[in-house]
Amino acid sequence: MTVLGFALRRLATLLPLLLLVSFGFFAMLRLGRGDPALDYLRLAQIPPTDAALALARQELGLDRTILLQFASWLGGAVQGDLGISWFTHRPVTEEIAHYLPATLQLAGTAMLVTILVGVPLGIWAAMNRDRWPDHLTRVMTFLGVSVPNFWLGFLLVLLFAVTLGWLPAIGRDGLSSILLPALATAAMSASVMLRLVRASVLGVLGEAHLRFARARGLPARTLLGRHIVLNAMVPPLTAIGLHLGELMGGAMVVETVFGWPGLGRYALQAIGNRDYPVLQGFVVVMTAVFVLCNLLVDLIYAWLDPRIRLERAA
Amino acid sequence: MGNNMLRRSLLHLAPGVAGLAMLPAPSALADRKRLTFSWPSNAGPLHPHLYSPNQMYAHSMLYEPLVRYGEGGQILPALATAWAIEADGRAWRFTLRRDVRFADGTPFDAAAVVANVDAMLGNRARHAWLELVNQIEGAEALDPGTVRLRLAKPYYPTLLELSLPRPLRFASPAALRPDGSLAAPIGTGPWVLAETSRGQHDLFRRNEGYWGEQPALREVLVRVLGDSNARALALETGEIDLIYGTDQVDADTFRRFTADARFTTAISPPIGTRLLALNSARFPTDDLAVRQAIAQAVDRAALVRHILLDTEPAAETLFAETFPYVGLGLRAPAFDGAAAAARLDAAGWRRPAGGRVRMRDGQELALDMCFTGTDALQKAISEAVQGDLSRIGIAVRLVGEDASTYVGRQRSGDFGMIFGDTWGAPYDPHAFMSSMRAPSHADFQAQRGLPMKAEIDRRIGAVLISTEEAQRAAEYRWLLTTLHEQAVYFPVSFLTNKVVHRPALGRVPFGDTRNDIPFAQIGRG
Repeated sequence: MTVLGFALRRLATLLPLLLLVSFGFFAMLRLGRGDPALDYLRLAQIPPTDAALALARQELGLDRTILLQFASWLGGAVQGDLGISWFTHRPVTEEIAHYLPATLQLAGTAMLVTILVGVPLGIWAAMNRDRWPDHLTRVMTFLGVSVPNFWLGFLLVLLFAVTLGWLPAIGRDGLSSILLPALATAAMSASVMLRLVRASVLGVLGEAHLRFARARGLPARTLLGRHIVLNAMVPPLTAIGLHLGELMGGAMVVETVFGWPGLGRYALQAIGNRDYPVLQGFVVVMTAVFVLCNLLVDLIYAWLDPRIRLERAA
Repeated sequence: MGNNMLRRSLLHLAPGVAGLAMLPAPSALADRKRLTFSWPSNAGPLHPHLYSPNQMYAHSMLYEPLVRYGEGGQILPALATAWAIEADGRAWRFTLRRDVRFADGTPFDAAAVVANVDAMLGNRARHAWLELVNQIEGAEALDPGTVRLRLAKPYYPTLLELSLPRPLRFASPAALRPDGSLAAPIGTGPWVLAETSRGQHDLFRRNEGYWGEQPALREVLVRVLGDSNARALALETGEIDLIYGTDQVDADTFRRFTADARFTTAISPPIGTRLLALNSARFPTDDLAVRQAIAQAVDRAALVRHILLDTEPAAETLFAETFPYVGLGLRAPAFDGAAAAARLDAAGWRRPAGGRVRMRDGQELALDMCFTGTDALQKAISEAVQGDLSRIGIAVRLVGEDASTYVGRQRSGDFGMIFGDTWGAPYDPHAFMSSMRAPSHADFQAQRGLPMKAEIDRRIGAVLISTEEAQRAAEYRWLLTTLHEQAVYFPVSFLTNKVVHRPALGRVPFGDTRNDIPFAQIGRG
């Protein structure tokens, strides 16, 4: 019940947050430099004559105040209508629904890579502190956080697609096509996760309960599994929420490099095109996805760690 | 123990990795009958009378014109086999090709032409940019094989504008709805749109009932791919078979492919002009001497050699001389910094003692050079121009902005120098020059300060309705010579289409217009 109440409270804050983000972004787009009517005509490939501009302003409602324009957009948005793309002339809601699964698939796989790489290597590094595994993983993480993901993407394609011919360079055709983009997307998050797990495990190794456990003669396997890893996993789990945002953001560039038909590439095209309805819809949906993912992580976090659950209950 | 766990995990992963290694290398070339190409977006719904998001290359695959544009502006038969203009110049009669059917089996006849023209005129405001549409009063079927197109006034570029990829092409009347929308994209062309996967690809299949020579290829798969580096890598891995276009890959990548024996590359003849417009209505380029000095002081050959890497030839004139009416023998002044400096001296622009920038009447010789900030090529050219002009005492402020603000500056004339392209065949020279009269175009803004601007606009209007060939040629001569002498443009290079593919693909010819990719001719012979 307490966890449910916590979830409901968090969900209730989502609505004002979405309203604030939508209005802030709406105002930024319209108060910035440039003329939305001109952008509209450019995307529709209509020569921007004075008559065409006047007609576009009227059609798009740009002759009204920003508040009225926003109210009109909001009226549609609460019914699930995020407007029509100026470039593709399709409903933005439908387009986002079409492209979002591919991005979630990529970000989800990248998250899996982050965990599968970051956690075991982090534990390995901590258990071998200041020995060669620790030094090796330190170099790996240094490279992982320093190399831009799009450049890493190109390097991976050069090696695995061009030179070795093992994996496809572009597209979304089955398991083989997701490996390279997921690796490129996950590199930074996996590196951060590795260091976080290492630090967390080292913290647990110094705790008193571990000394007592050792003194009780518990086998090494039990010590590692129950007493070290489980206790050390709480801080990295919190970071997963942050990684999700990073992975979704990273996917924007990586999707373009790998021709991955996801929301990131769609949004990046919309930025280049200044396709206002798409940008507005993208920001709102991503805000919701980000908040919901964090909420989910918080719930898992509370479920995993009884101490936190009790604190909240109190 | 931790090491053991890791070892076991790796052992579990090993078969998966081995399995991946055994995946067949993707290669569309293995199937010689399918060509895989790439484009930054899907082809669109492909309504023949509409614009974005419909892609022009795909329009040309599905839909055909009455007449087509051939080499050097020659008008050739397409869906019409013969045509004649009536005595008053206000109507054209077209004899239609017999035995042509749309891909859905509907016959192509005069009624189909009239239905398409009516549908297009129902949305006339949308096509107001095209002068022919403004001139068309209507079309009528004289008999099933003959159609008559009525114009408000004589209009010499009628046939040229009928050859455009849109809007005067023909969809099956069975697919045209009464409100002008389209139930399905069905034309008479050599290809049909077989499948669209949003964000992923479009698949075109050969139209087996095509009236002309059948394409050698059975299918063309166009994958959605926006990034030029990814496109180059996809060509190397065999995931695409062809790169074709003005900017599908950058000059550096094109040169790399040229040096690679595994690939065949080619550069097309000029298809348009990359140029800089100089604002004659704004200080300091309102001074003819400054514009002429700029024309002499910028090293065009160096721009072409070092930035464009010789993938485009240097341009000395507004249009390439292969276009109709423009072969006038005009030449740009030779690159000569000393002569440019002397010209500025003579015009009263002097360097103050110890100063780098010339001044006259207390004002600095400085101007804004505007470009799209994300366009690496424009940025590189701008920086080179800035360097060349600083040597003769002209300060150039580089203004790199987003595309929207950049277009806004073109419209308002808020620039000293700004980039632009001519529109290429079949728009050059007539349609491009026609647009010089519209204040919303950078060309109008650039020319606005010329003392003879009213005369230029009047003569452009006259040339479009002129029915005398000699008079038309004389008007073009005066117009192009005047613009050349007034140095209101600095032509940089002639745009080209660049082609890269593996030799196994066979011959890849160039299209006659900028937006026409001749898939139907690929692999023939």
